[in-house]
Amino acid sequence: MTKAPQVLTEFFWLEQLPRIEAYVARGGYEALKKALAQMKPDEVHDEVRKAGLRGRGGAGFPAGVKWGFIPKGTDKPKYLCVNADEGEPGTFKDRSILSHDPHLLIEGIVLTSYAVGIHAAYVYIRGEYEMIARRLEGAIDEARRAGFLGRNIFGSGFDLEIVVHRGAGAYVCGEETALLESLEGKRGNPRLKPPFPAAVGLFQCPTVINNVETLANVPFIIRNGAPWFLDLGVPKDGGTRIFGVSGAVAKPGLYELPSGTSLREIIFTHAGGIKDGRKLKAVIPGGMSSPILRADEIDVHMDVDSVAAAGSMLGSGGIIVIADGTPILQVLRKVAAFYAHESCGQCTPCRLGTSWIHKTVERMAAGRGQAGDVDALLRLAANIQGRTLCPLGDAAAMPVAAIARKFRTELESGLDRAGVRP
Amino acid sequence: MIKLFIDGAAVEVPEGTTVFKAAEQAGIALPHFCFHPAFAPEGTCRLCLVQIEGSPKLELSCSTVIREGMKVVTQSPAVGEARRGVLEFLLAEHPLDCPICDKAGECKLQDYSRDYGLTESAFREFKEKRDKKVAIGEKLLLDRERCIQCTRCVRFLAEVTKTHELGVFERGVRTEIGILDGVPVQNGYSGNLVDLCPVGAITDTDFRFKTRPWFLSRAESVCPHCGRGCNIYVDYHPGLPRVPGSAKVFRIRPRTNEAVNGPWICDVGRYGYVRAQNAGRSDRPFWNKDGAKTELGWDTAMAILGDKLRALVDAGRADRVAVAATSWLTNEELFLVKKIFRDDFGSGRIVLCDPRPGEGDDFLRRPDRTPNARGARELGFDPAPPALEALARGTEVLILFGPHIAEHFRPAELRAALDGIAVKVLVTPHLTGLEGLMDGVLASATPAEKDGSFTNFEGRVQPFAAAARPCPDVRSELEILAALAGSLGLRPDYYGRLTTAAAVRRELAKEIPFFGARA
Amino acid sequence: MSAAFSPELIGKIEALAGRYPVKAASLLPVLHLVQSERGHVSAEDERAVAGLLGMPPVKVREVMTFYTMFRRIPVGRYHIQVCTNLSCALAGGDSLAAHLETKLGVKLGGTTADGKFTLTGVECLGACETAPCLMINFDYYGNLDAARIDDLLGSLT
Repeated sequence: MTKAPQVLTEFFWLEQLPRIEAYVARGGYEALKKALAQMKPDEVHDEVRKAGLRGRGGAGFPAGVKWGFIPKGTDKPKYLCVNADEGEPGTFKDRSILSHDPHLLIEGIVLTSYAVGIHAAYVYIRGEYEMIARRLEGAIDEARRAGFLGRNIFGSGFDLEIVVHRGAGAYVCGEETALLESLEGKRGNPRLKPPFPAAVGLFQCPTVINNVETLANVPFIIRNGAPWFLDLGVPKDGGTRIFGVSGAVAKPGLYELPSGTSLREIIFTHAGGIKDGRKLKAVIPGGMSSPILRADEIDVHMDVDSVAAAGSMLGSGGIIVIADGTPILQVLRKVAAFYAHESCGQCTPCRLGTSWIHKTVERMAAGRGQAGDVDALLRLAANIQGRTLCPLGDAAAMPVAAIARKFRTELESGLDRAGVRP
Repeated sequence: MIKLFIDGAAVEVPEGTTVFKAAEQAGIALPHFCFHPAFAPEGTCRLCLVQIEGSPKLELSCSTVIREGMKVVTQSPAVGEARRGVLEFLLAEHPLDCPICDKAGECKLQDYSRDYGLTESAFREFKEKRDKKVAIGEKLLLDRERCIQCTRCVRFLAEVTKTHELGVFERGVRTEIGILDGVPVQNGYSGNLVDLCPVGAITDTDFRFKTRPWFLSRAESVCPHCGRGCNIYVDYHPGLPRVPGSAKVFRIRPRTNEAVNGPWICDVGRYGYVRAQNAGRSDRPFWNKDGAKTELGWDTAMAILGDKLRALVDAGRADRVAVAATSWLTNEELFLVKKIFRDDFGSGRIVLCDPRPGEGDDFLRRPDRTPNARGARELGFDPAPPALEALARGTEVLILFGPHIAEHFRPAELRAALDGIAVKVLVTPHLTGLEGLMDGVLASATPAEKDGSFTNFEGRVQPFAAAARPCPDVRSELEILAALAGSLGLRPDYYGRLTTAAAVRRELAKEIPFFGARA
Repeated sequence: MSAAFSPELIGKIEALAGRYPVKAASLLPVLHLVQSERGHVSAEDERAVAGLLGMPPVKVREVMTFYTMFRRIPVGRYHIQVCTNLSCALAGGDSLAAHLETKLGVKLGGTTADGKFTLTGVECLGACETAPCLMINFDYYGNLDAARIDDLLGSLT
């Protein structure tokens, strides 16, 4: 393996990077200048489409294709919503981009808006990131003063305004239609699809929704071209990923690596291996929603398709490492509690299923487990999965089912220990 | 038209139809809680899932729009399992208090659980404790343990009345419906929430614990409380064979008619039945003689009135009869009033005396307080209240239909004017005090108790049939009028045919073009 | 009873509302603003916001109770929000929360008698590389242990 190329995070060490001067000094806004001066919107779009840039939020959908769903020739306003509602447990990459390099995101927003013909962008940022939201607003002011935002950017005739909108503590708002509802001042209840946001989105208008990291890649694609981007990763998933590694590793942190880097390499080479000389027990590879991998399943390439083929999900790239000695029931409790707490409650299987799972797991943890509880969890997960209005149901069911299936023996021996097995 | 296949059978429906409606058209009722035809699909209960060929997951029938050649399966192991899953989740957190629930017998959760064979639960956890008796309106109680979060009630108040009294608070399993800081649901249409609720979460204190739905019979009728003519069901207990007179109306519910009232009715109409039906009734005829009230049988009462009228006729003073009708009467009854007293008696004093108009709203409620003002107008009645002097002068027999004259004149004024009239008869379903001024009272039926038709304010003639008749000793005005015509021997070849509402309606249509065009 | 909104606050609310094509869209930012000025959002504040944004008051309550960051009752001067999610738990987060409970003498969700601290357990704060972590008001603190917590609490006046 050659030395990992750093793209997004290359200059994160620069303390002055959040300031526009530092960003410009390292080549910032060059892509925007190039695009506005030399490229038509469609050419910007084409370059991103050719790069095959896949969404970094969790679903991995190609951004260029998504932009293509926006109807042509509509007389309605079009909107860009930036998904900065980073709430997937184990995920902290967007916070790092936002706090180290807000102008990179702004440049990505302007380029995307230019490509799609958008004049108003909303950054939906999780409410807890209050300081970061303020910093981003400061950066937006700087960019406006420098002529990179606002009316007639670089004399191109292209206008764009960006509004920062803080969420207020609801994981489900990371789901794109819940995000739209929340942006409209409502409860974050996901919408029924169709219609899809590209047709009927924010304020009933065509809307593109992209994750922070996704947009942060756009300036580099425009500057260096799609082939360069594709070269960085694997054929169907180009570029790098900012993997966040947390849990029982020696060096938790963010590691920007090419898409397709092996999970084993990320944990053992980059993140310093397991802490305190313990052994690896399991890994959650892409945020809490992604099905758990056992220690013997980590020889997987971390790109969208490879992780899916391994029965899990690249998701947000938030890798949570679990060491031997950590009871799997502890992990399961956190998973069950989280989704029960974050279910919006509007649809039956998610509202009641996540709660039922949570109650069952808590009972098991209280030493009152019964024979059949593991099967009950599997059945409950199956009753949720594929049956809910939005993907949160699947996100809640998949990790529970994976833990129940892969760690059945450990969970059931726990029941034995509690001495209540009939 | 688009052709698709539902459970193998070809169905043709217009473009834009949903799978749910296409199935309905094909005679297949799909289970559902959150969907209601008055609202956009919500898609949250997840019960109406069906299989659509080519789709990897089950799809919602309520929101999926049909496509040419679509193949839909509404019953399959996968569909059944998904629906059972939803029902199992709902039942797990449900109190299962059907024995004391007013909704039992007409509860969708109960019906579907039976349909899908759910008898045992794998639920080993504690059910959430929630408030079971939250007063959310004058007559509305919310039981949060029974609530399944379909939000029909919330959507009704947001989209139909636009009054927004209810909201969805908290989230996840703690999600609950509620009013804001004690401000009750109060908008004149609150009772619809009870009908909308597919389970027993919102119940009506007016109906609560009074009877069970399976004891009730249902009759189609038309609401008499204003000129809208909302279509209703009268739910009544038909009475027990060996207990005469125990028939009773227990509730009024809307009967969907998109052209008139949609699926809704107002609270005045819904709860007005108590006043109209069960309170202050005049339940048998009586005569005031020498200051004493004497109850009479119908034959005697009718004979007395007949004698008084025959005396006038015989004396050649038939035109000395005056009649104040009311647009509480049906088209058919008003027609007979005119035929008998204007045409045959030759009286020029046939007037209308309606209650004073009240307040309407911009939805269903009309300011008029009677069901048939338009019908009366089309039959030639002047809607203006009568001049008392003109009504009373020279009158020897006065027949009042309804007690509304007392609303227009002071008691002393009324007494003075009526004092000179030899015979005063009140035909009324209700006693309001006016009977003290009368010589005789004939106890009549309410609209729910008779056949007939009303013409609503838009000119729509709406026939209806009698439901219960809780007071056995009342007669409809039509019966009274037909009996009078018979006993007086008026044109037997004509009146002899007009003894039922249907027969009178046919005659009405023949004689008056307005009704002819609407027959 | 809380005092009516000052003209300045109303001006700020209207400015926020002006950033959206529909006034009601500014509800979350407006509630954040009101909460930051008043410490919490009372029922009267909700009604005032509803009036300014032209929306039914019940919609404001719906939103207030959906999002965990909005507070309908006052909190302590220092609002400690400790992550109870997985990455922090794997790094000792649960014992950290227990330590805070003992130290402050309140359970998660409670406020100290002197009104200085409110302790809340929250889901992942998105700072897992510094697990276990917590937030005090809007400041993040990571890589904590009992000793560092004690120092931190001691530094707050």
